[in-house]
Amino acid sequence: MLAVFKKELKSYFLSPIGYVAIGLFLMVFSLFFYLTTIQSRNIDLGNLYFNTARYGLLIIVPIITMRMFAEERKNGTEQLLLTSPKSITGIVFGKFLAAVALIAITLIISLMYYVILCFFQAPNIVPVLVMMLGFLLVSVAAISLGMFASSITENQVISAIITIVFLVLPWFLPNFGESFTLIDLMSSYQKFPAGVISVQEVVRLVSFAAVFILITIIIMQRRKSVK
Amino acid sequence: MIEIKNVTKKYPNITAVDHISFEVKDGEVVGFLGPNGAGKSTTMNMITGFIEPTEGQIIVNGFDISKKPKKVKKQIGYMPEGTPLYTELTVKEFVSYMAELKGVESKQRKEMVKRVIGEVGLENVQNKIIRNLSRGYKQRVSMAGALIGDPDVIILDEPTVGLDPKQITEIRNLIKELGKKHTVILSSHILSEVSQICERVVIINSGNIVAIDTPENLENKTKEKNTILVTVEDPKENMKRLQETVTEISEVKLIKDNEDGTKQYAISSSGQVDLRKKLFEILPKQEIVIFELKKSESTLEDAFIKLIDTTSSEVVKDKEVSKDKKVSKDKEAEKAKKKENKAKEKEEKAKAKKENKKKGGDK
Repeated sequence: MLAVFKKELKSYFLSPIGYVAIGLFLMVFSLFFYLTTIQSRNIDLGNLYFNTARYGLLIIVPIITMRMFAEERKNGTEQLLLTSPKSITGIVFGKFLAAVALIAITLIISLMYYVILCFFQAPNIVPVLVMMLGFLLVSVAAISLGMFASSITENQVISAIITIVFLVLPWFLPNFGESFTLIDLMSSYQKFPAGVISVQEVVRLVSFAAVFILITIIIMQRRKSVK
Repeated sequence: MIEIKNVTKKYPNITAVDHISFEVKDGEVVGFLGPNGAGKSTTMNMITGFIEPTEGQIIVNGFDISKKPKKVKKQIGYMPEGTPLYTELTVKEFVSYMAELKGVESKQRKEMVKRVIGEVGLENVQNKIIRNLSRGYKQRVSMAGALIGDPDVIILDEPTVGLDPKQITEIRNLIKELGKKHTVILSSHILSEVSQICERVVIINSGNIVAIDTPENLENKTKEKNTILVTVEDPKENMKRLQETVTEISEVKLIKDNEDGTKQYAISSSGQVDLRKKLFEILPKQEIVIFELKKSESTLEDAFIKLIDTTSSEVVKDKEVSKDKKVSKDKEAEKAKKKENKAKEKEEKAKAKKENKKKGGDK
């Protein structure tokens, strides 16, 4: 797992993808930082993280996840991975954690908005850290979804489109019934922005991620009999 | 040792590999030969555990790949078809990543990476990004990936495709070296390559094994009748009447009409007689000047084409027979008749020509 994780994280920064993802992410962050705090003269960072999670992840997650398995499948390098003695679970987790690490790096950089606010009036750091934890959990869920999309196709564009559709679709689902809100990731990111850790939200996000990671592992294991 | 027992791979519309069985002993270099789409890569992918056979068993050094995949995968170094590589990495990074995947311990890793890079001759480019390397070098990088971790078995899928002649000889020498220490299975559709490198050849066609033997035996098995190639200057066209004077000759066939006035003929004899001596004596008497005289040798190429042709035509015949026995028999009879008629016509023509010539001579 560690080998795959290190190589994947390195690959993000050997290709432009890592820089593009982080750059775009910070652009969205900065935009919402201006709109939600500077313009509205507000020192609460909750809206910043909520809006970035809602709109930013929509762009960033597909960029990060689309290549995960689709590229390997297309280039044939999956033959190298799948004929190595490493377990498929290890390979999937290695790739998954590398993508999560990329978001975590961005999140650490996003602390600069807190630092900027400190020049005016220092907000309490604990709620900000809670917001970031929630943000990471939403990202984890979204990445697992994107990873699943990447494992079912060899076309990166299709993989990205599937991810975006799955992330956007839930926005309209409440029109059809209350129960659909459960699959909306943002419905599980309501209390975090207020600086409150809700067990319900944590469980929902983690189980969402677990389901898609599991499906990806099953798909990759099935590959050898389907090919 | 690798044992392949009754292995089949079926896809929805096609059976890629159909109940094949063979064994590869320790330290052997075995060539896998067949036309494109014969099932070579599929078989190799099954041995490496990349795909699962629909039926059958693959055992590598006593471990069944479906039951102990990790143990088997650790013993196999695989260079897949088309040399897939992580092109954004440098050569060194790639080889060391492959070492990590193979589970080489970090203490030995550095040393082993260095050694393998040396073995395949990549020292000069080890810090270059793979994307910028030439094809020959990429092939070597891929081979380094297969060698790392000192696997007992090395499987190379078309290792010399797309290389220039110099690179091909280099890679071949490398494989020969590998054969001294490892069990090697390689696939190719270049026959000379296989006969040079391999101790045994498995010929496969449309998913079936056609033959397993040493390259020499395969050549002998499929040897043509005794055929001699002669290049002669024959102004009086006496070659055509050669059959009348030398009775052992069964056929004289014109092969090439050269620009310098010489002609090349293939002369076949009916039995196991070597006609070279006789021809050398007789031809000058017939006012024929010999430029070249040699025995035609059947190559592995011929053997291959012959084997593949016979198997595919057998398949076709079987189908025809099963469809309608009578019709196929009738067809065969018709064909035979046509052949007879053609032969007769030829004879008649030849006679007419001879008569004309005689008449001309008389005048």
